[in-house]
Amino acid sequence: MRCLEEAGEKVPMLGNEAIARGAIEAGVGLVASYPGTPSSEVPMTLSRLSDKLDYYFEYSSNEKVAFETAAGAAWSGVRSIVPMKHFGLNVAADSVSPVAYSGVKAGMVIMVADDPKGWSSAQSEQDTRYYGEMCRLPIIEPANPQEARELTEKAFDLSEEFELPFILRTTTKISHSVETVELGERKDIETEGYFEGEEEMFDNVGPGLQRQHRKVDRKLEEIEEKYGEKLNRVEKSGTEKDEIGIIVSGVSYDYVKEAMQKLDINAPLAKLVMTYPISKKFISNFIEDKEEVLVVEELQPFVEKEVQRIAKDTNPELKIHGKDLLPKDGEYNLEVIIPALEEVFDKDIGIDFEEHEEKAKDAMEGLPPRKPVFCPGCPHRSTFYALKKIYGKNIMYGGDVGCYALGTFEPYDMQDFLISMGASLGLTHGVKKVSDQDVVVTVGDSTFFHNGMPGLANYAYNDGEAPLIVVFDNRWTAMTGHQPHPGTGKTGMGEDVTPLKIEDIAEAMGAEVEIANSFSQEELEEKIKELKQKDGLRVLVSKGECRLVTKRRKKREGKPIVKFQVEQDKCTKCGICTEEFACPAIKEERKQKGEEPKYTIDPDICLGCSVCSQVCPQGAIKPRKGE
Amino acid sequence: MKFDLLLTGVGGEGVLTTGVMITKAAHEEGKYVRGVQLHGLSQRGGTIPTYIRFGDKEGIHSPAPMKADVDLVMSFEPIEAVRATEYARKDKTNFVLNTYPYMPIYGNLENVPYPDMDEIKKRIEPFAKDIKVFKTDKRAKKEFGDIIYGNVMLVGAAVSSGELPLDKDTVRSAVESMAPRNVEENLKAFALGLEMGRE
Ligand SMILES: Cc1ncc(C[n+]2csc(CCOP(=O)(O)OP(=O)(O)O)c2C)c(N)n1
Ligand code: SF4
Repeated sequence: MRCLEEAGEKVPMLGNEAIARGAIEAGVGLVASYPGTPSSEVPMTLSRLSDKLDYYFEYSSNEKVAFETAAGAAWSGVRSIVPMKHFGLNVAADSVSPVAYSGVKAGMVIMVADDPKGWSSAQSEQDTRYYGEMCRLPIIEPANPQEARELTEKAFDLSEEFELPFILRTTTKISHSVETVELGERKDIETEGYFEGEEEMFDNVGPGLQRQHRKVDRKLEEIEEKYGEKLNRVEKSGTEKDEIGIIVSGVSYDYVKEAMQKLDINAPLAKLVMTYPISKKFISNFIEDKEEVLVVEELQPFVEKEVQRIAKDTNPELKIHGKDLLPKDGEYNLEVIIPALEEVFDKDIGIDFEEHEEKAKDAMEGLPPRKPVFCPGCPHRSTFYALKKIYGKNIMYGGDVGCYALGTFEPYDMQDFLISMGASLGLTHGVKKVSDQDVVVTVGDSTFFHNGMPGLANYAYNDGEAPLIVVFDNRWTAMTGHQPHPGTGKTGMGEDVTPLKIEDIAEAMGAEVEIANSFSQEELEEKIKELKQKDGLRVLVSKGECRLVTKRRKKREGKPIVKFQVEQDKCTKCGICTEEFACPAIKEERKQKGEEPKYTIDPDICLGCSVCSQVCPQGAIKPRKGE
Repeated sequence: MKFDLLLTGVGGEGVLTTGVMITKAAHEEGKYVRGVQLHGLSQRGGTIPTYIRFGDKEGIHSPAPMKADVDLVMSFEPIEAVRATEYARKDKTNFVLNTYPYMPIYGNLENVPYPDMDEIKKRIEPFAKDIKVFKTDKRAKKEFGDIIYGNVMLVGAAVSSGELPLDKDTVRSAVESMAPRNVEENLKAFALGLEMGRE
């Protein structure tokens, strides 16, 4: 079973799987998470293994609740981990900062994955390391899956030793990179705890607050003193040019190692594992005899600034490179780092990457563009299609985060903004308060439970002229890999539970509620028209399961999917199915440019949702014969 | 020894599963593996390649290979092979592709035609030492009624034609262990691929 192999075995693993394994090796007793790319495979792995091991696992309704759940366990002496993506920490932050003051009784790891370059279609390139300083929590950063496994366990041990949660920070290319990992021993899992409620942990009123502040600062000093040099290391293969050093953290370490090999550079290399607090002693010792250093870190100059500060005392003459040669935005890779090393060490790899990329771009010129698009059979496409028909594209659409955000692309173009989970409600509320625009809010089911409910309550409380709110209820948290949520009817441990009904919640908040089947254009149109004519808080719950989940279930159960086809004699070539509805399964083929197209449905892609057959004005789309 | 492979296609899942399979086979042969698998991001019709690097640990650090430097580009969709040329170069890189055209809806919307196989090859040539095209998608459709088996078949063809330096037996056992359902079909597809690669 993946991730349960014996100690000493070598297994190729994803960084996120290695973190899950590390938590298992540390004897984690409770796992609470809200999914978010690029961290999702940590909870997914631990969810999958929860029936084999004794720890408790849950998908919480959002990251704040997940964090609190994990902290409650750690207060009670049970080791816990709370994996999340970078934005999750923003949601949890309100509790994170006070829990740093209170401290914990058992090891607690906050695993946070940053996403430079925004692979997860993230809305900002947030650098989580600043939370260390802000919330007073230490940060440990692995470079690769092997280190991720080891440092996860280490973070648990250190957290327990100092009674302080530790942040384990990764980036996409650590979480989603693969490496042959050597496994370690598994500690026994302890799931029983007791909340003692010691006063010294929780006394944060009046002078108690300052005492707590001093307490956490003292812990950080002790951590820096005791582990600042032990956790970090200097690799000194140096024979030439020892006066130039490299300071590196995170995944950049692996890029730098390979780039040094390729360029034949033997400079001393300081690898930072603990990036908050940064050990002054470690950095001082490294830079004191150098003339130049290059600091390599993705995103903000977090380490570089600290090196500058330390150099003022230790080596004011030191020339510090970093963001003068390397970008703050996007992701690093060999092509980004090699030119910086070439510059500092006066080397030349013999490849002009920019020129090569230009040449490749020319080769790609004029290819049909591939952008993200709703899957074939996606219930969201159908809901957007009905909305487009009745409201048009030109009103304001308050967008939110999830697969339905793909509605932002042509031919829908029906998401005016994308900010953060649940933000569609508050933002449109603000707009409505100062304008009389026509607005429709689009929000997903998992997003509704995550942070949409407060926005709806606020609409109910403060706005008699609320817009139509459409909840895209596909039963799962689809975007991040189909995790269950409070409306799914399953827990993260696979138990059946009573699903919360969004329609009941909305109704309890005083909204006029309608439910429509996402796969029925007729029903959607009818309900949308009905609600459009009314005033006040209106919620349409469009229900239709994520088609990928349906497909997998049918495959598992050996049930066929009835595919559709275009009956050529009825097709008038109006192009509505490709140009207005735009399902990737429907092809518009021309033998030659300018020729009349032929419309066909690729049975290898069609997932049989039937909506195209409802959209075709000629009734030319029918189930395939014999199916 | 170090081998850098870029695996690409459309729709994520197929590419990822094949990537895991190849990783497994390389590992079984005692090779150190490194790579990038962007799960959960590629499923909505975009293109995100998988990188697999294997060989001696000493020479491999970075999760992704260097641009203009991979040994093999394997693509389950022809135009995506063109999009991988950034990672390829004339004196080093081989290409293995199938012939399954997945026309993006934006091709329809923006009226950009899908290029034919000759044009695709012409675009790749300045970056390729060798290009091998296998009609595994068509063969899979014919044999199994489902193009999905074309992926395993293409791996088979890449192995037996010597483009992917892995042993057919380790790859076969990886295929076997990866496909809890439809093992027979997958193994048959792999065997057919081996045949196609030898021809
Ligand atoms: C604070 C925060 N946590 C997690 C995520 C990752 N994330 C993006 S979309 C999404 C959920 C989408 O689920 P749902 O609203 O049900 O829409 P679906 O994808 O199912 O259409 C999540 C968890 C995020 N963007 N921000
Ligand atoms: S994963 Fe599901 S919800 Fe997301 S685009 Fe695909 S079908 Fe739609």
